[in-house]
Amino acid sequence: MGKVLMKGNEAIGEAAIRAGCLNYFAYPITPQSEVAEYLSKRMKEVGGLFLQGESEVAVSYMLFGAAACGERVFTTSSSPGISLMSEGISYISGAQLPVVFVNIVRGGPGLGGILPSQGDYLQATKGGGHGDYKLLVMAPASVQEAVEMVMTAFPLAEKYRNPVMIIGDGLIGQMMEPVEFPDHLKSEPTNKDEWAANGMDTRKSDTPNIVKTLHLDPKILNELNLTLKAKYERMKQEEVRYEPYNIDSDYQVLIVSYGTMSRVCRTAVDDLKESGFEVGMIRPKTLFPFPEKAVREAAGKASCKVVISIELSMGQMVEDVERSVLGQRPVEWYGMCGGDIPTPEEVMDAVKSLV
Amino acid sequence: MDIDLEGIVIIVGNYGSGKTEVAINLAVHQRQTGKDVRIADLDLVNPYFRTREVKDALTERGIDVVLPPEKYLQADLPILSPLVSGMIRRPSGLTLIDAGGDDAGATVLASLADSFKDKTIQMFQVVNPFRPFTETIEGCLKIRDEIEGASKLRITGIIGNANLIDETTAGHIYDGYGFVRKLSNKSGLPLLCIAVAVNLLDKIDTKRFSCPVLCLERMLTLPWM
Repeated sequence: MGKVLMKGNEAIGEAAIRAGCLNYFAYPITPQSEVAEYLSKRMKEVGGLFLQGESEVAVSYMLFGAAACGERVFTTSSSPGISLMSEGISYISGAQLPVVFVNIVRGGPGLGGILPSQGDYLQATKGGGHGDYKLLVMAPASVQEAVEMVMTAFPLAEKYRNPVMIIGDGLIGQMMEPVEFPDHLKSEPTNKDEWAANGMDTRKSDTPNIVKTLHLDPKILNELNLTLKAKYERMKQEEVRYEPYNIDSDYQVLIVSYGTMSRVCRTAVDDLKESGFEVGMIRPKTLFPFPEKAVREAAGKASCKVVISIELSMGQMVEDVERSVLGQRPVEWYGMCGGDIPTPEEVMDAVKSLV
Repeated sequence: MDIDLEGIVIIVGNYGSGKTEVAINLAVHQRQTGKDVRIADLDLVNPYFRTREVKDALTERGIDVVLPPEKYLQADLPILSPLVSGMIRRPSGLTLIDAGGDDAGATVLASLADSFKDKTIQMFQVVNPFRPFTETIEGCLKIRDEIEGASKLRITGIIGNANLIDETTAGHIYDGYGFVRKLSNKSGLPLLCIAVAVNLLDKIDTKRFSCPVLCLERMLTLPWM
């Protein structure tokens, strides 16, 4: 099959189906509603299920229930909806269930606006809900990459028995690009028998799988948290993904930027290169685990004078960049978060003003 | 073989078929022939990539752009400017209406039924066969029925808009033309024109087409372009 022209939101819905997920629970919110619109038609065609919950809180527990039964399941929402789901996300993490969440981020705080933003970085990477849990967080910069991340998110969620979140700003959901759905990314759940509460007969087992999050015995709860911690450490070892750009040049400035913002930065890097000003870029594809080593090594290059985090937020990623740079170079910030996206020229001015 | 439109012309189609880009370019094209052109953004369902984003570029070219009040421009609220019904009641030159996608987007047209009464209206369905749900003739006919049902108006013609944006080749244009020709035969609806991006024009043999070609200049661009 050749390429098709798809909106990010449609492609995300189709990618989940192609990955083998036939359960989708969601509640509409701009700018991600087209996922629900698309899947309301497509799930019928493929014999899957789309159920609109009465709220995002309800949706988060539908996900919990379906995942506990061993079904591949996912949802999509946008910022305020993810805030509502945060309670359920904490429960799903505590119960160690594989669920895929997609957040097509809009401007905040509060109702904010419906235009693109990256203002949910901290919510996605540092929590949002209560307790010691972490999500594996991936951030696509194109519709094709969104497709591939959604398709890989399901096996990753199962590998770690942990929720995975794909975080894209509003533009990733709304823009159209030609896409294809790689067959090799289709997968089947392999470790269901370890956790699915889908009946002893189905699993041919003598021991029941219990799905719960209440652990009143402090020793057992501590054990659970140590297990979770070990998973997050393993993610840091095995799942870091990033893309270096113009990193072989003798750059004076290193940009760290992701998602839509990184595409503007890429144009700025190209244009500056033409004028003889070299800039390198690290684009995190996973926000947790963060590409600490790549940023540290790139910042340590002799020619590099300064590092700048460029985001559609007020510097939410700066702490992760600083943590990675380890004081070798100053870390600056540039960005906007009202819904407008900086132009390549504005990024060039911000970068040039640093040296 | 030129495109010559007047009166009330409504552009409909499924989500992402390229309605807005086609409507804007039709407005510019018709304005260049010296007509008075007005364009109304009736897209109440899609919050991004709307006519309102190129208001200034259109105004500079002498095209009258009818939009909701400024303070609601970035809202996802179903606001229909009262100017729209006025402009439909008293059309002059060419009045282009850029409707929202699918039957949901076309529903707003039904609310203007009183204004449309006794008027001659042309309504064109924009078709891109490289989009989901319109890759088959049946899919296109189904969307036509849904849009007609929701808008309470009849579609009177087809505009071919085969493309994969930056990855469009001459082959896609020829295949897309063959597709809309077939759709035209099957539906009995005339083919108004096919749209071809300006950068592809010199790679295309337009003599292969028995309809006009609308040269498309991409106006709704992305921030890194």
